[in-house]
Amino acid sequence: MARIKIDHSRCTGCRHCEIACSLNHVAGTANPRRARIRVFKEGSTYFPTIAGPFVDAACTSKIDVVLGDQTYNMCLVCRASCPEKPFFIEAETGFPLKCDFCGIPPSPSCVRWCNSGALELIED
Amino acid sequence: MYGHTGRCLRVNLSRNDYQIETLPQELMEQYLGGRGLGVKVLFDEIDPRLDPLSEDNKLIFASGPLVGTGAVTGASCNVVTKSALSQTIASAKLRGHFGAELKFAGFDMIIVEGKAERPVILSIADDKIAIQPSLEYWGRTTSETEAMFRAALADKWAGRETYLVSIGPAGENLAAVANVVTDGFLAVGGAGIGAVMGSKNLKAIAVKGNRSVLVADTSRFVQVITTIINKLNSAPLTSQSMSVWGSAFLVRLCYEKGAVPFKNFQTTSFEGLRHVGTEALASAFPLRSRGCFSCPIACIKKSDVQDSRFKGKGMAPTYLAIGALGLNCGITDLTTVGMANIICAEMGLDPIAAGGAVATVMELAEKGLVSKEALKIDMRFGETDHLVTALTLMATKKGHVRRIGRGAKALAEEFGAPELFMGVKGISMAPFDPRALQGMGLHFATSNCGPHHLYAYTFIDELLNVHEPVDPATTEGKPALVKTYQDTTAVTDSLGLCNWPLMGLKFKNFVPMVNSCLGTRLAADDLLLIGERIWNLERLFNQTAGLGVSDDILPGRFIDEPLPAGPAQGQVAGIKEMLPEYYRLRGWDESGTPPRDRLQALGIEDSTNGQDQD
Ligand code: SF4
Ligand code: SF4
Ligand code: SF4
Repeated sequence: MARIKIDHSRCTGCRHCEIACSLNHVAGTANPRRARIRVFKEGSTYFPTIAGPFVDAACTSKIDVVLGDQTYNMCLVCRASCPEKPFFIEAETGFPLKCDFCGIPPSPSCVRWCNSGALELIED
Repeated sequence: MYGHTGRCLRVNLSRNDYQIETLPQELMEQYLGGRGLGVKVLFDEIDPRLDPLSEDNKLIFASGPLVGTGAVTGASCNVVTKSALSQTIASAKLRGHFGAELKFAGFDMIIVEGKAERPVILSIADDKIAIQPSLEYWGRTTSETEAMFRAALADKWAGRETYLVSIGPAGENLAAVANVVTDGFLAVGGAGIGAVMGSKNLKAIAVKGNRSVLVADTSRFVQVITTIINKLNSAPLTSQSMSVWGSAFLVRLCYEKGAVPFKNFQTTSFEGLRHVGTEALASAFPLRSRGCFSCPIACIKKSDVQDSRFKGKGMAPTYLAIGALGLNCGITDLTTVGMANIICAEMGLDPIAAGGAVATVMELAEKGLVSKEALKIDMRFGETDHLVTALTLMATKKGHVRRIGRGAKALAEEFGAPELFMGVKGISMAPFDPRALQGMGLHFATSNCGPHHLYAYTFIDELLNVHEPVDPATTEGKPALVKTYQDTTAVTDSLGLCNWPLMGLKFKNFVPMVNSCLGTRLAADDLLLIGERIWNLERLFNQTAGLGVSDDILPGRFIDEPLPAGPAQGQVAGIKEMLPEYYRLRGWDESGTPPRDRLQALGIEDSTNGQDQD
């Protein structure tokens, strides 16, 4: 099955992937808040995060992960469309967003426009 | 309406209120948006003769129609005002993510009028607009300001989607050399706008939005963008040089053509190129590539500076920083340049204007025309500490702000050597020697926003030979080259695009992207005509402000003193032979004035702006 491989070290934070996703799902509409991929910065690193499942309640436990000298809030890089955070939920409608592995073969829209190599389609 | 949001936010800081206006359709057709629309509004609404720091000056932030749509490099927000440094119109380009976020908040443009009684921050979150007191932010650096604002938001996630533009201490203290900053990027060509923002007591603007920007023909647009990305990917300059090094790769190429100024433009030949080349850059800084919104090139390099004298994060040196803050001050130490560049971003100082002021004082000192006592600071070519100290002082200490912070021209005049000011229309020159690149020289002399290379990319042909091989030393054909690049840049700035892609593709490659996005059927020539219209309107603004043919001139050094050494040895700038031809191509008379019928042909009807009557 094909997978999307994300290489944080290459991501430039350009957010072209967000718009690629948004345009592909609602024709004519460029809007990062409607994208199923969002790119967030923590410290000096960008994290492209692809939306996963909808959950109707937040986790009861909160988790921080320490990598090197940086502490990451797991909620930030978590893929869930979750009431804890406003991402992957359409602002106007409250509609939860989930990646549907879209696009024209051979590449999903976000991968096709990502020029840095941060997003890559691989077969395993 | 596609691309445009069609809405404009007008904020009056004196009255502490705002209103949301609809932008007239025909203005967007005539001037596109961004720089063009900003210039039109400024020209219509202020008297170009006014004092730039007076309450009547206006400060406009305008994102072009392609910004936020996903168009390749559609990220620029233009900052248009009357410059505090030059008395000309200023139209700086703010990159990063601010411009796109402004569109997502539902605005093409913000017009800031008046002056707040106390420091404020303008906060925009969709239609929730607030003018907030911000005394606690005053005196803060630009990165502190952004971090404080984000941390203070009630919704802890909101800061991640909020983008700011702010001034540092330099703008607050009304230093003429001040600029504005977003996320560590200084606005390109922004000398003289930081003080205007400071004079309004406006510390920052913050935006966040949830709205959509509409695209006319999505399937065609997506296809065109994919093609453009592939084109940029197969061109060596955009896929390799710019992506890996940013503009810093230009240092060696410029040096080899004898075009990099050293010690206030005294020569272009110097020892120590290897200390400032790309290898030195890679060993001095761990480079991280950063892209402006929807840019596949990602020429911005961020880095940390870890030095016993200074620790900080910010932009790694670009060509501009290495030239203006390094070589032109006689400095070949990249760590110092990196430090100086970050200080500029934190303090909100324009690197060309601030570096130009330092280089001028250094030459004044070298010639014995200024003493340490007169300026209360020591400045000698090549002294790294002098540069770093001067930058901090000219932004923060009132006495130094009033002396060095006024910029190179005022300093050269005060110490009796106006000929040592290396600039045009009051603004220091970007680090390219006009004796080595004739087209760049003509552009520097005639540019409406001052001598900045990013208002006409002639070096793409003169230096890099991307589209056609052009001999940098000849004056022949240069007036046409300059005019085309000036008009092209006016178009791309107005659409909200970056010009660096022109290193990998042609202007005409942008056209299908524009049309599929906006639902228009414009040809490349239609766009260039709009560019020419904008250029003429800016010219008209400057002429009304009191500038004339005598301001289309290069400093005497470039005309009378042949380059003493290096690859361009013996050359002078042939500006006098190029200028008449340039005026002729623009359809202007010998005094460089656009005649009435020419303006009418360009669709600039109401060219008097009511100023004849008063
Ligand atoms: S397009 Fe690629 S480089 Fe740009 S933000 Fe998305 S993942 Fe990062
Ligand atoms: S694969 Fe498609 S749906 Fe999923 S994030 Fe990428 S563009 Fe969006
Ligand atoms: S080329 Fe550089 S300056 Fe231009 S949009 Fe891309 S990252 Fe920004």
